[in-house]
Amino acid sequence: MTPSLLLLIALAIVIFVPRYGILSLYKDWRVARQREQVEDALKHLLDRESQGRHASPESLAGTLDLHRVKVTRLIADMESQNLLETRGSELHLTVEGERWALHVVRAHRLWERYLVDEARMPLKNIHKEAHHREHNLTDAQLDELDAALGHPTRDPHGDPIPTREGKMPSVQSMPVTAWQVEGLARIVHIEDEPAIAYEQILAAGLRLGQVIRIIEKTSQRFVLSDGEHEYRLAPTVAANISVAPLPESVVARARAVSLAELTYNQRAEIVTLDDAVQGFTRRRFLDLGLTPGTLIYPELQNFFGDPRAYRVRGTLIALRKDQASQIWVKPVN
Amino acid sequence: MTTNIQPNEVLAKAETLRGNLSTGFRDEIVKSLYTEAENIARRAVKTAKDKKYDLDQRIDRLVTSPIVGLPIMVVLLSIIIWLTVSGANVASDAIANILFAFGDWGNALFSSLNIPWWITGFIWDGVYRGLAWVISVMLPPMAIFFPAFTILEDLGYLPRVAFNLDWLYRKAGAHGKQSLTMAMGFGCNAAGVVATRIIDSPRERLIAILTNNFVPCNGRFPTLIMLAAVFVAASFPPALTSLIAASTVVGVVLIGVFFTLLMSWLLSKTVLKGEASAFTLELPPYRRPNISRILYTSLIDRTIFVLWRAMQTAAPAGALIWILANVPFGTSNLAAAIADWLNPFGLLLGLDGVIILAYIIAIPANEIVVPTMMMVYMGAGMMIDGPSTTDAIHSLLVGAHGWTMLTAVNLMLFALLHNPCATTIMTIYKETKSLKWATISVVITLGTAFLVTFLTATIARSLGWA
Repeated sequence: MTPSLLLLIALAIVIFVPRYGILSLYKDWRVARQREQVEDALKHLLDRESQGRHASPESLAGTLDLHRVKVTRLIADMESQNLLETRGSELHLTVEGERWALHVVRAHRLWERYLVDEARMPLKNIHKEAHHREHNLTDAQLDELDAALGHPTRDPHGDPIPTREGKMPSVQSMPVTAWQVEGLARIVHIEDEPAIAYEQILAAGLRLGQVIRIIEKTSQRFVLSDGEHEYRLAPTVAANISVAPLPESVVARARAVSLAELTYNQRAEIVTLDDAVQGFTRRRFLDLGLTPGTLIYPELQNFFGDPRAYRVRGTLIALRKDQASQIWVKPVN
Repeated sequence: MTTNIQPNEVLAKAETLRGNLSTGFRDEIVKSLYTEAENIARRAVKTAKDKKYDLDQRIDRLVTSPIVGLPIMVVLLSIIIWLTVSGANVASDAIANILFAFGDWGNALFSSLNIPWWITGFIWDGVYRGLAWVISVMLPPMAIFFPAFTILEDLGYLPRVAFNLDWLYRKAGAHGKQSLTMAMGFGCNAAGVVATRIIDSPRERLIAILTNNFVPCNGRFPTLIMLAAVFVAASFPPALTSLIAASTVVGVVLIGVFFTLLMSWLLSKTVLKGEASAFTLELPPYRRPNISRILYTSLIDRTIFVLWRAMQTAAPAGALIWILANVPFGTSNLAAAIADWLNPFGLLLGLDGVIILAYIIAIPANEIVVPTMMMVYMGAGMMIDGPSTTDAIHSLLVGAHGWTMLTAVNLMLFALLHNPCATTIMTIYKETKSLKWATISVVITLGTAFLVTFLTATIARSLGWA
């Protein structure tokens, strides 16, 4: 045998061997890629339907960033799998399609919850990461994740997480642009797409669960206030914020201040932990005895003002400003 | 009346009821637990007006104040390091005398029994000498450093240090408690890595583990002190030499702290992206140290633990050193031949081949870097101490082996930044349970060491300084 023949055989083995050969790996990759495309398409259709309109091949091509020819093929594929129906230029989900779409949405939102609560990733990175991880999960795996997270009902953006049976809990909310000018409202959702608007909103300092009031509303700009700071946004950006009327419990908190704002030795009672604090951090706070109704006051200051140490239940606990501003307190005498 | 309730029904009922829970029910559960605990405590515990509490507050205000707090920290750390270095010198000599005398006796015994020279040499000048060297150099500093450090820990002072320094670590994306694991690193990096267990968030803990090695452990202090004495302090008047040598070592330590923070920042911007999270730090009341507990944790948990791991790697290293020094190759021995071969690479980094060889052999324990170097330079057949006076060391290194100021500076930098010793790598692997992070810890430290020494060498040469 000549060396070149040997090389040829070796090459053939590397390419064609079942399971681990290049060809077979490529096929696996193709199948996974196609599944991702189908799932992304399903999510788009569901998203459109929840807004009361229907997807079209054009909107699908735009969202998936695919060429028209490929979209047509994808639609035909999905139709043959009985996932969607075309009616004229409209795309409708079938019952089977909707079930699958809700499964993917559930996976995505549970992952986002996990990434924020347990992995404690910054909010602006989680969408991309969850998007990578939402595919290829079975119902049983999702149930496990759901239980491990303590059966959350909302994702970190305030969107409802579908139940295992495929029911989407409803939230009553409206874009802040539609809110009446007077009256307090609570931010229940910040749309994470487009990413630019989302980052602007976060950069402005607005966050989920915050209680706000509109103080100025023109076609040029929107000015929101939480009673302390003012937030200026372009109306197109503001439209990505959804608000709901204030629940009773939060009305009380509107008069509260954050722990970080207390002056030295100012005694206060904990009102509540911020809604944005979940998972690991919340458990840690509760473990340390930072429960509602507890008396707390700043006793010791770092030379640079941050962190500060607080006296609570007779022990001294140091918190950074970031943590302290997530604890709402009511000053007492 | 009894009803038969099946477990499944209970589960199903719980499942349906869960939907009705308000979002804050977990807070309510914890709150009720605390309320109950408080009720019990109120009935059972009598509180008098607490004088100690006022004292604690006064001490706290003192040690965290800007004018007094920082100097207290620096003074305490300096005292501990000074105690360790000067105290260990005496004890190390004493232990070395005993152990080496035993080695000589064993050597003589084997010779008198007509056992071939290479068996005698391998066992007594190789394996035994490696073990004896590591024990005599490593044991005393750890036996002084760890108890002293543990006293501060037991007093309750250490959390205040973390509190004072947290702002630095927050900027680097790390946890304030990393300052404590770094301080522990002065004793031993492996112990520093174990100490990162006090950091409860995984991301910040990993940062602390991967950067701990930039703090020089006391195994590396002898190298730094020797270089500072021979190359820096020698050009100053004799009255100042010890002060200058000490300040040089402090300067090197500060460079190490700088690299720790820089690397923490880089890691938290790249591989370990994320916000510094859930920083909570309990500042316990001050307590009188419990001597027996201090001795136990510092000597058994820390000193013996580290020493045992170091001995496991020192014996094979001793054997290897002896083989390299005693297998003839060309006109000289294997060690000299390998050093010659490594020389171009060493020179590129402003070092030389012998130094590189010493660091490769000394992966098990940094304590044997200098004796290995001296062995090759002086053509000896086993690890030896260098000449006894600084002048003699100076003439050996500069006169006979072409060292310059650049060699000395770069060796200090290399000693500070290079890869963790085998014991530390093993500990990182055990703590992270990941081959990946153990490998990364070697790559980033060695990479930094190569890069920094290469840059200083190139810059110094292009400016005509060396």
